[in-house]
Amino acid sequence: MASRTARRLSMTLPWFLFLVLLLLPLSHPSANTVRLIFTTSVWIVAGIGWNLLGGLTGQVSFGFAVFYGLGAYATAMMINAGRSPYFAFLGGMAIAVLASFLVGMPTFRLRGPYFAIATIGVGEATRVVMNNIDITGGASGYRILEKRAFNQIEHYYSAIVLMAIALVISSLIVRSKFGLALRAIKLDEDAAAALGVNPFLSKLWIHAIAAGLTGVAGGLYARYHAFIYPGDVFAFQTSIYILLIPVIGGIGTVWGPVLGGIVFGIVEEELVVHFPNIHLLLYGSILILIVLLEPDGLLGLLHRLARLFRRRSEDSGSKQADEVVWGSGGLEGREL
Amino acid sequence: MTASDYLDLIIKSLLLAGIYAAMAVGMTVIYGVMKIVNLAHAGFLMLGAYFAYELFDKFHLDPILGAALALPAFFLFGMAVHWLLVRWLPSSDTPTLSSLLLMFGFWLVLQNVAYQCWGNEDYSILTPRTLSSMQFGEISVPTVSLIVFVAAVVSLIVLQIVFNKSWFGRSMRSLIQNPYASQIVGVDDQKTARLTFGLGTAFAGFAGALLAMLYSFNPDFGRPFLLRSFVIIVLGGLESVSGVALGALVLALLETFTVQVLPASYQPAISFSLLVVVLIIMPKGIAGLMQRRLKVT
Amino acid sequence: MKDVSFDVPEKQICGFIGPNGAGKTTLFSVITGAHKPTGGKVSLRGNDVTGMGSAALVKRGVTRTHQIVRPFRAMTVLENVQLAVHYGRRAVSRTAVAREHAMDTLKMMGLQHKANRMASQLSLGDQKRLEVARALATVPELILLDEICGGLNQSETRVMLDLILKIREQGTTIMYVEHDMKAIMSICDRITVLNFGQKLAEGKPEEIQNNEAVIEAYLGKPGSAPRA
Repeated sequence: MASRTARRLSMTLPWFLFLVLLLLPLSHPSANTVRLIFTTSVWIVAGIGWNLLGGLTGQVSFGFAVFYGLGAYATAMMINAGRSPYFAFLGGMAIAVLASFLVGMPTFRLRGPYFAIATIGVGEATRVVMNNIDITGGASGYRILEKRAFNQIEHYYSAIVLMAIALVISSLIVRSKFGLALRAIKLDEDAAAALGVNPFLSKLWIHAIAAGLTGVAGGLYARYHAFIYPGDVFAFQTSIYILLIPVIGGIGTVWGPVLGGIVFGIVEEELVVHFPNIHLLLYGSILILIVLLEPDGLLGLLHRLARLFRRRSEDSGSKQADEVVWGSGGLEGREL
Repeated sequence: MTASDYLDLIIKSLLLAGIYAAMAVGMTVIYGVMKIVNLAHAGFLMLGAYFAYELFDKFHLDPILGAALALPAFFLFGMAVHWLLVRWLPSSDTPTLSSLLLMFGFWLVLQNVAYQCWGNEDYSILTPRTLSSMQFGEISVPTVSLIVFVAAVVSLIVLQIVFNKSWFGRSMRSLIQNPYASQIVGVDDQKTARLTFGLGTAFAGFAGALLAMLYSFNPDFGRPFLLRSFVIIVLGGLESVSGVALGALVLALLETFTVQVLPASYQPAISFSLLVVVLIIMPKGIAGLMQRRLKVT
Repeated sequence: MKDVSFDVPEKQICGFIGPNGAGKTTLFSVITGAHKPTGGKVSLRGNDVTGMGSAALVKRGVTRTHQIVRPFRAMTVLENVQLAVHYGRRAVSRTAVAREHAMDTLKMMGLQHKANRMASQLSLGDQKRLEVARALATVPELILLDEICGGLNQSETRVMLDLILKIREQGTTIMYVEHDMKAIMSICDRITVLNFGQKLAEGKPEEIQNNEAVIEAYLGKPGSAPRA
C-alpha cells in the first residue's frame, strides 16, 4: 500500500538525513556551506518552537524575536562571565522560558486575539528597553569574548544536534496526549475545556517550551556571530522569519518547519541577497498566497500531489490514518 | 508642576485623544463586523500619511484637504482590498489564524511598496501652520493639533450619524450584535462587509493623513499605532464611537503624563503595559463584552 | 436568571423544559463553569463548586454536551473520544489504554466502525452520538445533556433515548434538556420547568403535564385570544 511505504519512508528518511548531516564534515565542505547549514538549522529550531505554539495550538505570535533575542543576550553574557557555552545555552533557555510566562499569563486567560496583538507590542517594548540598557551596550551591541578558538565544525554540530533534539521534542509532543489537547484547543477551546483540558495552562506550557527552544536557537546564533545588537536579534524581521518558516513548510506538522526552513534558507541566500529591497514584498506575498491558496503550506501541496498521483493508481481507502501523522495542521477557519 | 502645567497636559491629552479615536475607529468597525484584526491597518495609516504628503508636495494642497480626500480614496482602496483578498477568508465569528496572517502579509507588502516609492528616510509635512500656536489666556495650543482635533471629532460625529441613521449603519450594528440573526432578517453580510472594510480603511487613511501633520513618518510609520489602536478597542469596547473615544482619552492621558517621567522612547512599552494591566484588572469586563456577542445560542 | 433553585438526586434523570429563551442552556453553562454566575451557588454533594472552571469540574465528574454539536472536526472520531479519556476524571495517561477505553465508549454509542473517520465526515446523528460519547468518556458522575435529540428523526431519537437510560443504569446522574416533550416525558424521573429565567414548576412528569402554570406558559392564557 502506498500509505505504508510513505509511513516507512517518513520513519527512516529523517535518520538518514541526520546521518548525512553528521558525516558531512568528513567531506571537507566549504566554510560557506557549513555556515549555511548552521544558519538554516538555527532558524529551523526557532521555527519548530513557533510551530508548536502557533501551528499546533493555534496561538499566533508576532513576537518570537523576544525569546530569540533574550536567549542570545543571556547566552552571550554567561559566556563572557566565563561559563561553558553549553551551560550558557541552558541559561538562555531559562531566561526565554521566564519571559514566556510574563507574556502568557495576562494574555492567555482570554479567548480571542489578545495574545497575538500583545506580542506585537512585547517585541517592540523589549527592543526599546534593550536599546537603552547600559550593561549590554544598548543599541550599539554586545560582543562575546570566548576564550576558546573559533571552531566552525563545533558550531555546526551543536546546531545539528539541537535541531534533532527539537524535532524529537516536537514529534513527541504531537503524538502525546498533550499534543492531542493542544490540537483540540486550536479547534475549539470551549469544547476542549468541557472535556477536562485546561486551555490556559496548556497554552502557558507550550508557550514556555516554544520559547525555550527559540531561546537556545538565539544562543547558538549569538555564540557563532560573537556580536549581537538589539536591531538584529530583537528586530521585528526576526519575528517575521520565525513565523514564516513553519507557515511556508506546513503549519502544525512536525516536518513543516524543516521543509520551510530549507526553502527559507535558500530564498534568503539566493534571492534576498541579490534583491534586498523586495524581501518584505516577497515574504508578504508568500504569506498571502499560502493563506488563500494552500493553507497547509508546502507539505499540504506535496500531499495534494501525492493524493492526485495515488488516485490515478487507483487507491482510495486509507487516507485518514496517514493524514493524522502528516497533516494535522492547516489554518482554514480555525479559531484562535 | 503648577496647576497651569497640569491644565496644559490635560489639554494636550484631549487633543491627542481626538486623533487616537479617529485612528482606532477604523480598526474597531472592521473587528466588530468581520471579526478580523486588521494588522494592515498600520499600512493604511502609513499610506494615508504619504497620500497627504504627495498631494501637498505635488499640488500644494493643504494637508487638511488631503486628509479629507483620503476618505473617499481609501474607501475605494479598502473595498478593492476586500474584493481581492479578504472576502476569500473563511467566515468565522472569532478571529482566525488565517485572517491574522493574511492581513499581516498584506501589511508587509504595503510596507515594501512604500520603501520602494519613498525610501526609508523620515518625511514630514511642513506648512506655515506647523510651528504656529494659538493663545487661550495662559495656555498656548499648537494650531495643527487643534485643527487635527477638530477634523477628527467632526469625522467621528459624522460616523456616529451614519451608524445610527443609515441603512448601512443599521446592518453594521446588527452584524456586530448578532451575525446569525442579521442574516436571517436579510442583512447582506458580504455587501456590508465590503462597505465596512472600505469604511475602516477610509478612516485609517484619514487618520494617517492627520497624523502626518503632527509627526514625521517613514514606511514603518503605522506599527506603534497598531498596538495603540488595539488597546483603545480593548478599553472602549465595540459598542459605540463614544466607547472608542473614551478608550482613546485614557491612553492619551496616560501617554502624555508618563512622558514627564519616562523617556519618550519607552512609549511603546506604555501601551503594552496598559493592555496587560487592563487584561489583569478587568478581564471579566472585556471577556464578558466579547462573549456576549460571541455566543447567544 | 433569578431565583431558580433545585436539587438533582443521584442516579436519576432530571429533565428541564421551557420555551425558547427560558434559560436552559444558560443554566447548563453556569453549572459546568462555562459562564460565571453573578450570584447564587452550585454545589456538588455538599461541596461548593460555584465558578469553578469547566476543566476542574470535569475532574470532579461533571460534564456536558453542547446543543450545537462541537466535535473537533479535523480530528478522527477516535481521537475526539481519546482526548476525553485522557483528560477526564480517570485521567488515563497511556495512549494505548486510552484508545481502548475510547473504543469501548464508541462501541456503546454504535460508532466503532467509524472510529477512524474524520469527525467532519459524520452525519448529524452520528455527530450527536459522538458528542455524547465524548462526554461519557470523561467518566462523569453527573452529565448534562443539551438537546441531543434535536434534528434527529424518530428512530434515531428512540436509539438515543435508550442510550440515556443505559447511561443511568450505569449509575450516572443525568440532567437533560430537550424540546421534544414526548421524549422528555418518557424517560425523566423528575422535571423542572423554566420560563423567562425563573422556575415555574417542578415534579414528576405526570404532575407537570397537568400543571396549569406550565400549560399557560406553553399555550398562552386559556380563554384569551392567541397573540399574533
